[in-house]
Amino acid sequence: MVQNKLPSKADIIKGNRRAIAKAITLLESTRPESFEHGQVLLESLLPLAGKALRIGITGVPGVGKSTFIEAIGLFLIKQGHRVAVLAVDPSSQLTGGSIMGDKTRMNELAQHPDAFIRPSPSSGILGGVARKTRETMLICEAAGYDVVIVETVGVGQSETMVDSMVDLFLLLMLPNAGDELQGLKKGVLELADLVVVNKSDGKQESLAKTAQSEYSKALHLLPSSKNSWTPQILRCSALEKRGMDKIWEAAKSFRETLRNSGEWEKQRRKQTGKWMWSLVEEGLLLKFRNHPNLQKQISELEKAVESGNMLPTTAATKLLDSWQTHSK
Amino acid sequence: MSKSKSKTKTPSSPTLKDWEKQASRELKGKATSSIHWKTPEEIEIKPLYTAEDLEKLGYTETLSGFSPFTRGPRATMYAGRPWTIRQYAGFSTAEESNSFYRKNLAAGQKGLSVAFDLATHRGYDSDHKRVVGDVGKAGVAIDSVEDMKILFDQIPLDQMSVSMTMNGAVLPILAAYVVAAEEQGVIQEQLSGTIQNDILKEFMVRNTYIYPPAASMRIVGDIIEHTSAHMPRYNSVSISGYHIQEAGATAVQELAFTLGNGLEYVRTAINRGMTIDSFAPRLSFFFGVGMNFYMEIAKLRAARFLWANLIKQFNPKKEQSAMLRTHCQTSGWSLTEQDPFNNIVRTTIEALAATLGGTQSLHTNAFDEALGLPTETSARIALNTQLILQEEAGIPHVVDPFGGSYFMESLTSSLIKEATKLLDEIEKLGGMTKAVESGTPKQRIEAAAARRQALIDHGEEVIVGVNKYQVENAEPVEVREIDNSAVRNAQIRRLKKIKKNRDSNKVDTALNAISNAAENGEGNLLDLSIEAIRLRATVGEISAAMEKIWGRYNAPIHSISGVYANSFPDQKEIKQVRDEIKDFAKKAGRRPRIMVAKMGQDGHDRGAKVIATAFADLGFDVDIAPLFQTPEEVVKQAIENDVHVIGISSQAAGHKTLIKLLIEVLKKENSEDIVVVAGGVIPPQDYDFLKDLGVSCIFGPGTPIPGAAREVLVAIANKV
Ligand code: B12
Ligand SMILES: Nc1nc2c(ncn2[C@@H]2O[C@H](COP(=O)(O)OP(=O)(O)OP(=O)(O)O)[C@@H](O)[C@H]2O)c(=O)[nH]1
Ligand SMILES: [Mg+2]
Repeated sequence: MVQNKLPSKADIIKGNRRAIAKAITLLESTRPESFEHGQVLLESLLPLAGKALRIGITGVPGVGKSTFIEAIGLFLIKQGHRVAVLAVDPSSQLTGGSIMGDKTRMNELAQHPDAFIRPSPSSGILGGVARKTRETMLICEAAGYDVVIVETVGVGQSETMVDSMVDLFLLLMLPNAGDELQGLKKGVLELADLVVVNKSDGKQESLAKTAQSEYSKALHLLPSSKNSWTPQILRCSALEKRGMDKIWEAAKSFRETLRNSGEWEKQRRKQTGKWMWSLVEEGLLLKFRNHPNLQKQISELEKAVESGNMLPTTAATKLLDSWQTHSK
Repeated sequence: MSKSKSKTKTPSSPTLKDWEKQASRELKGKATSSIHWKTPEEIEIKPLYTAEDLEKLGYTETLSGFSPFTRGPRATMYAGRPWTIRQYAGFSTAEESNSFYRKNLAAGQKGLSVAFDLATHRGYDSDHKRVVGDVGKAGVAIDSVEDMKILFDQIPLDQMSVSMTMNGAVLPILAAYVVAAEEQGVIQEQLSGTIQNDILKEFMVRNTYIYPPAASMRIVGDIIEHTSAHMPRYNSVSISGYHIQEAGATAVQELAFTLGNGLEYVRTAINRGMTIDSFAPRLSFFFGVGMNFYMEIAKLRAARFLWANLIKQFNPKKEQSAMLRTHCQTSGWSLTEQDPFNNIVRTTIEALAATLGGTQSLHTNAFDEALGLPTETSARIALNTQLILQEEAGIPHVVDPFGGSYFMESLTSSLIKEATKLLDEIEKLGGMTKAVESGTPKQRIEAAAARRQALIDHGEEVIVGVNKYQVENAEPVEVREIDNSAVRNAQIRRLKKIKKNRDSNKVDTALNAISNAAENGEGNLLDLSIEAIRLRATVGEISAAMEKIWGRYNAPIHSISGVYANSFPDQKEIKQVRDEIKDFAKKAGRRPRIMVAKMGQDGHDRGAKVIATAFADLGFDVDIAPLFQTPEEVVKQAIENDVHVIGISSQAAGHKTLIKLLIEVLKKENSEDIVVVAGGVIPPQDYDFLKDLGVSCIFGPGTPIPGAAREVLVAIANKV
């Protein structure tokens, strides 16, 4: 059937939705052959990638990330941009599959021809989220999306991971200041280039104003992650789609400032270096796990460890030793 | 026997201990606790209740007609006048529904209850592009007062009590009813009946909302205000638990969420400066009655007790302010597609429970419930079920016949206790509006539904004819089919005519007044809607005038995971499916990915949500699409997410029109490699039609999910 042939570079560059989607699937694939195809395709597209503004968005569950992306996404499209949204769910391995409802929270954006939204299932062990997200981003850029937004839940390590691939890191906060600072890891606040207090509407508007000034104070006590940029604190109502213009102004001025200071390029280069290392790590793990001569031993030792008959250290040493022998 | 004599026990009279011993013998040595039954509400039921149980409760007798009304709102109950037989119906055009109503009234029905189609519910005129599959399908299409006048043609509205299930487009519809009456020569003061107007449960379970919560509550308030001033015989809100139960809630959840919603409406009115006695007597309720016979009776008794106590905090002077009056409907969910005549028996049992529980009016479902809208025959039997209870079985002669029963009073009290706990939790969250916004009540209901589904799929909960005692080669039953494009064309013609003959300038002014009132928060939106309807503004135009200001709301969709798999009694079966899926993933390079989608204005999401959560538990990657999608929108998202399968869940009869369009769009987008499967209320008569279009599998009501997951997996494998 025609439809099952591999996505072509030409179609992706043309912005063909189906081709982009199929390419992302190749990048996500755990099947070596498909994965290989994906990598070849990605390499051919690399020269065309890199032109988008990459925005990472994080915040505690329920802060309004998806609603915010709907609002800012529609705003950006109205300004003539094309917006890609990648939703990352780094939740720990499930016995079952993932359940993804991201598009239900970005209803209007999901329907828009200038938007591309791709939620990614959490994949378990193989193929780290970081690699896949980064590569997906590049595909979207090659396809002509000039703003790429990565949504991630603000708990755990995901934001550090996202920070290592985006240009601008935006932290959404709730209007009830005190409670939330405690809930957030200090490290997350340090990563933020823009802090936006959401839900500044109705009865919560005055709360949000207070929060804005309190966060300003708190932020001044922290070292900023960039030399040439001081993080800004803004307010918005994602629900009522208010405040998007100011946020976009700030984002643009962020880009200007960093470009002028040279930090922009520096950050991207550093990210590329990190990327190489994460590829090495992941590649090693994949090879290790799929090594034909190790399969039997892996499952035996796994059982032994799980049943408490062997120490994990002992098992790991054994496996690494065999790996070394077999990979000579 | 004299009183004193009955109290003294002769040495030989058996004690509870004796009973324990004998019972244990019958159980071959096992303790009686081994036959205690835990209901889905986690209430433990003993096999025997005695006077001791009542003593422990501190039970004191109450009387019907007096607070707290546990035994019934009226002193004489049905002995004075039987419950009102009120069948919910509506389909196709106003003409067709009108003739159906008149037949039923002639056959013994006492009040009317109008079912609107989903286009109307969601505030779209029949010519709107988002409703091609919905017009006239699951209710009657009403676009303007002209339709409403036809609907009530030759039905005198000063005498007939009319209930209208309308929540989203409540303003134009109530306005059209008022104006239709007006043009019959009936003034508002004479109108009696009920408007559902219960928006909070729409956000939770029924899904025919239009505007965001705050704006929607303003509308509720405007209606309470208008009716309490001008329509003294009219119930301004019908606070509904029925839909909550049908979405999967337990009796405790149904009680607490419904009464919690009721409290919110009371507060809304009070915050507007109204006194409790000016509107509370006109709040009515609506509960569902399912197959858990004793529980349902206890639920109605508990509801009355709880409401009477909840209203106390507002210091009512009138007794009626704290008196819960209710309509009931037998459970549609309990009715099966398989061996459908069993449904007549189920409905009879449920109707009996509703009347023993003391409902004021009742709808009984037709046996073809899981196939489509009732036919003339099935509707007649449903109606006769009530007539037989009233006129043959002697039910009406006694008030609250279970009153004082050791067991029933204990059960009533357990329900009161559990519902109170949940109500307290809701209050802590800041009331139902807040709770609903957070999505937790919906999630809890979905968890209960997933648990129930797991038990039924495994066969632990028996459904006769579905998972036990099945019949082979069942004869097909006749299904009512509605030609929605014919209805739609007729409606469009009428819309055109209305728009041609009216004074458009005046209509625009009236619509602008509505937009302004929505924007600045002033004025009564019902008053303004009545004015616009008089001038022949349409339902869609009035709805759009407010949508312009408030936007169209999408309730956030949350999902649950793990509940289905963990509740499934046989973990081996789960593991088997998971292993098959793992094998697939190994070969395909990823898990099978399905997008569960609903198209058109069909808001039934219980099936879609339970499929989504169960499929994910079994190992599928599942995308949930937003509600109310067009075929084009579904295809766009399916392509973007690169799913293997689109799983359409369809309950409101749009399947033939919409799946046909879906497959056309897939072709156009060169994406026929995406497998299409469908499930829901799809009559077997339509299977061939869908298969010919290219639908790979069809799953009707009662499908066990693990088997369906396997079939879908095979369908994908066949296509790759
Ligand atoms: C529950 C229910 C409701 C609830 C819905 C709650 C909710 N949140 O979902 C409430 C009370 C709110 C409701 C309201 C209405 N309802 Co209703 N409702 C039902 C009822 C009784 C059961 C449906 C159900 O949820 N069953 C349980 C689930 C688990 O089963 P299921 O959906 O069939 O799904 C199973 C299979 O079909 C399959 N499946 C389904 N989808 C998919 C998808 C995939 C991918 C797969 C693999 C499998 C699969 O697997 C599931 C598990 O076994 C049906 C009648 C019936 N017995 O089927 C009427 C029914 C669907 N409702 C009907 C109507 C008319 C309405 C209203 C439009 C009435 C009105 N005019 O106002 C309203 C409006 C609702 C709306 N917004 O759309 C009609 C539709 C008529 C028709 N098809 O011709 C029906 C058929 C009743 C009738 N005969 O009149 N309803
Ligand atoms: N009042 C108000 N509510 C908002 C606003 N933004 C989001 N919400 C509501 O907050 C809830 C959560 O919003 P989401 O966008 O799903 O939040 P999220 O951060 O993406 O949540 P997760 O994906 O679950 O982590 C929803 O009920 C939204 O309607 C806002 O600006 N004002
Ligand atoms: Mg989100």
